[in-house]
This record gives sequence, structure tokens and C-alpha cells, in this order.
Amino acid sequence: MRTLVDLHNHSCLSPCASLEMSPSALCRIARERGLGVLALTDHNSARNCPAFAEACGREGLAPLFGIEACSVEEVHVLCIFETLDEVLDFGAYLEERLPTLPYDPAKLGDQVVVDVDENVLELPQRYLGAALSLGFGELCRAAADRGALVIPAHVDRGMFSVSSQLGFLPPGPYDAVEAVRRPAAALTRGLAAVSGSDAHYPGQIAARPFVVDMPEELTAPRPRGGSERFGPALLGALRGKLGLREVRAAWEREA
Amino acid sequence: MRVSELASIIGCECVQEEYADGSVDSGYTSDLLSDVMANAASGGVLVTIQAHRNTIAVASLVGLAAVVICNDRLPPEDMLEAARAERIAVFRTGLSQFEVSGRLWIALRPRDA
Repeated sequence: MRTLVDLHNHSCLSPCASLEMSPSALCRIARERGLGVLALTDHNSARNCPAFAEACGREGLAPLFGIEACSVEEVHVLCIFETLDEVLDFGAYLEERLPTLPYDPAKLGDQVVVDVDENVLELPQRYLGAALSLGFGELCRAAADRGALVIPAHVDRGMFSVSSQLGFLPPGPYDAVEAVRRPAAALTRGLAAVSGSDAHYPGQIAARPFVVDMPEELTAPRPRGGSERFGPALLGALRGKLGLREVRAAWEREA
Repeated sequence: MRVSELASIIGCECVQEEYADGSVDSGYTSDLLSDVMANAASGGVLVTIQAHRNTIAVASLVGLAAVVICNDRLPPEDMLEAARAERIAVFRTGLSQFEVSGRLWIALRPRDA
């Protein structure tokens, strides 16, 4: 079954994202725009993933749980997990590796943890947009060792990418790369290249998903409620499709 | 030195002119924004090739007076808009970070250095 997958989305926890991007708003708009599989990938933190899990349950979306981690070289990497527990564990590991820099929300943006009903739970005091004390290779290995899909983000963009910060894609345990346009072969190493919305504002939700043919039982509308049981089979199936490059990115989708 | 003197001292073009023309007494050269955030001094000039609006967010946080974009990189309009809102000057030059830093060092060094 033809499914729209978007593995790159921010919520109001990311300092650079709109406060309108509560997990519940993200999921509602994503469902309205026809997405089937959605991942939340805030910068260096998973603190809005519990609300995202509930919101996906409400909207009948198949969730994956991610973080867009920022290596010490300032390269962004999408680390996508099967379950909420795994992403929370990885998020705690990353947050321990964030610098303790002065953080001024007025300058750098608000970081808001909410529940599924948009009640504010917490305002994290460390700047989540900072670079972790983990090298790019070390970061990718740590994510892969924990079972994550590892996808270097926007590899062909002029900032926070392997091309802007390193100049090339070193060998590593990647499942795919995310690109803005059809990327040069040197930036894909033969891996699947997927598109992603990198949504920071409601208008960007579902702007650049990729298309994959997924087994119907993994993408059928979900009953309202829990979401954890959809995880493992879904991530495994997606990993298989990426490995076979059976995906169509936004720049090659049919009109 | 004042911000308005930078163009002639370094040999660069001012591309964001709505700035507070404060006094400049230090510079910092880096292309890693996390490094700038941690180590640059308030009131200084940042010499970098990072021509995007995140650079202005960091410059504003640190309290930098000006940003010099090197190697002929083109600052996008949203970067200049952000700089205008923060009253931070933005300059552009074909020189490298090394060359700009050298000229700044000569202009800013203490008399006995």
C-alpha cells in the first residue's frame, strides 16, 4: 500500500520551531494532509515524544520516535527508534552530552515540553540546539548500536550537514540519507536518498514526505489509543525498504 | 575602533547598515557556532564563513557588534533581516578568515603587543 512517510518533524520543544507545533497539532495536520507514518525529531531531545505517541494514537497515525542529534562538528543526524522507551533512553544519553551554555529563550527561542492536550509540563534549561560532545562517527554508532535508523539529515544543504561541515559523507552505519534535492552520488554512498519536511511551522507539515509501499497491516488506520505495538514491525519493514532503495523521494514522486 | 571603521580597515563591504555603531575591541574567528557561543566576547567582531541566520542568533546571544562573512559567501536576506532586528552589522568580503583576522589583529592589538 502506497504510504507517505515523513521522518523529519520538529515540535515546540525545538528552540527554532513555532510554538504552534505542539505534538497534537503536528499529528492532526499530518493526518489531514495524508501522511501515514510520522516521526518526531526534535533537536537533541525526546521530551515531547510521550505526547507525540499519544497524539499519533488519537489521529490513527503510525508513529516512529526520533531525535535530530547535532554532532560536535555541527552535523545533524536523524536517529529514529521503534519505541518510546528507546528514544527516551537515547535522549537522556544525549542530554548528558549537551554543553552547559547560557541559554536565553528570548534570543534562541522557547523550548516547551507539553502533554497531548497542550498543557505545559516543563521548560528545559539547557539549550537543545547546541552541539553535543559527540563526534559524528561516534554519534552515528551510538544510535545504530541502540537499533535506530541512522539518517544523516539534509546532506546537500549549506548548513548543519555532512557537506557543509565535513565536505563528504564518511563511511558509517547509515540506513539512508535525507536530501533536499536529488543528491550527488558522492553524498549518498549508494544509499537510499529520502526527502523530509524538516517541519518547524504548521505550513511545512507534509511538505516533503517520501513514498514507500508498505504492508497494509502496518499502515491501516489505527484505533484511538496506544501506539507502542506498531513500532517494531514498522521500523523493520521501513529499514528493509530503505535497504532495497524501494522509496520515492519528493523530487521523483509521480505528479 | 568603531563598527563603522571596519569596512575601510578590513577591506569589506557593509551589507547590513542598520547597526549600533559601538566600539569594537576584540574579534573571534570560527566557523563552529557552538564554539562562538562558548568563547566569543561581547562587543567583538565575528569572522566566519557561516552565512545564515543562525549565526545572527548566536551573535545576538553573545552580544557581538558585527559579523564579517568571508570568501565571497552571500548572506541570505533572512540573515540580514535578523541582523537588522538585532542592530548587528554584517560585512562581506572576498578575503579569507585568515586575511581578515590578520588585518583585525593589527588594528586591535594592544600598543605594546
